[in-house]
Amino acid sequence: MFSKIVRRTHMYLALFLTPWVLVYAVSTMVMNHREFFREIYGGAAPAWVKETERPYRAASPADAPPQAVGAELLREVGLDGAYNARRDAAGVVTVVRQDPVTPKRIVYRSAEGTLVVEREQFRMPAFLERMHRRRGYQHPFALEDTWAFSVDAFIVAMLFWFASGLWMWWEMGATRKTGALFAAGGLALFALFLFTI
Amino acid sequence: MTFNHFVRRLHLYLALSLLPWFFVYGASSLPFSHPSWFNSIYDDGVPLWKLRFARPYERAVPAGADLRAIGAEIMKDAGVEGSFGTYRPNDRELHVYVHTFWRATQIKYFLDRKELRAEDRRFRWDHFLTGMHARGGFENRQPLAFGWSIVVDVVCIGFLAWIASGIYMWWQIPSTRSWGWLALGGGAALFAFFLLRL
Repeated sequence: MFSKIVRRTHMYLALFLTPWVLVYAVSTMVMNHREFFREIYGGAAPAWVKETERPYRAASPADAPPQAVGAELLREVGLDGAYNARRDAAGVVTVVRQDPVTPKRIVYRSAEGTLVVEREQFRMPAFLERMHRRRGYQHPFALEDTWAFSVDAFIVAMLFWFASGLWMWWEMGATRKTGALFAAGGLALFALFLFTI
Repeated sequence: MTFNHFVRRLHLYLALSLLPWFFVYGASSLPFSHPSWFNSIYDDGVPLWKLRFARPYERAVPAGADLRAIGAEIMKDAGVEGSFGTYRPNDRELHVYVHTFWRATQIKYFLDRKELRAEDRRFRWDHFLTGMHARGGFENRQPLAFGWSIVVDVVCIGFLAWIASGIYMWWQIPSTRSWGWLALGGGAALFAFFLLRL
């Protein structure tokens, strides 16, 4: 019975987390070949494409922290969510809304009273890398915390697959010798890297 | 050997071969996901970087020069070895970050005041794990470093092979199909929700 529970948990967990496994695998390969993919796109960073521009006067005081102004601007354009914000020497506030598929940039020029919304041109490698790197509980949004929790769940699942996989292998007596050879080979190669690079 | 048998053995032996990588990628994701918790463990007053030396140094860094080649020369002059990256944060500084799995050294060349400083990073297990996790790329042509990056690709292919073979093996057990569809569909729906709403 215990064996069956381990096998079924191993399988159903893997089926549920298939999209995460897929994205982490493909994105790792993309990051491992970053230069190759950069050259495909001519080496330049993705362009920002203007979506809207309109007059706007922020309610936040001129000396308010950029994060506070950013929150107001995102509410104004209906893009609440994870973001970072900065103010340059000229007083221009730039907010980047960290949408995984289409990041948005909101630029507020208080001197001119304009608000510009731009979107980042979609590139598959950039999208995959964003998904790979998204984690942590640093944003004050429940949805962000939920994603971070799913990442933690994936980590726990990986450690479970590691342990349950070993268990299931050991239960199959016929595969023990060959399995031990593969495991020892992998371990030896890993140890070689560990102590030489 | 039947196809079914081949798929099962591929799933198993691939996993056993790549077990150390699988474990390291899993365990090392924890410090990435909870950096503040790991930082609090090492919040003991010991500085992260310790000065190894600071000495006068002069080297021309022409505009548009190959920074990696210059970084290699600076490392040689500083007597430091390992995989490295060279960065120029501003016109006055050139940084060479040298690392192995066990140690890291940053060499800073201050062009304006003609000084070379080398600092060693204290060992931390979370940095050891995240360093292994993040290691990859083919810029370093040293054979073993290159070999590591090839294995990283093999691990990625391994993950894709586990998805394909896992789904195949699931389908071979008809009694699990309904719950399997629920798990697969539920995961896909949740992931799609995150994609659309994050």
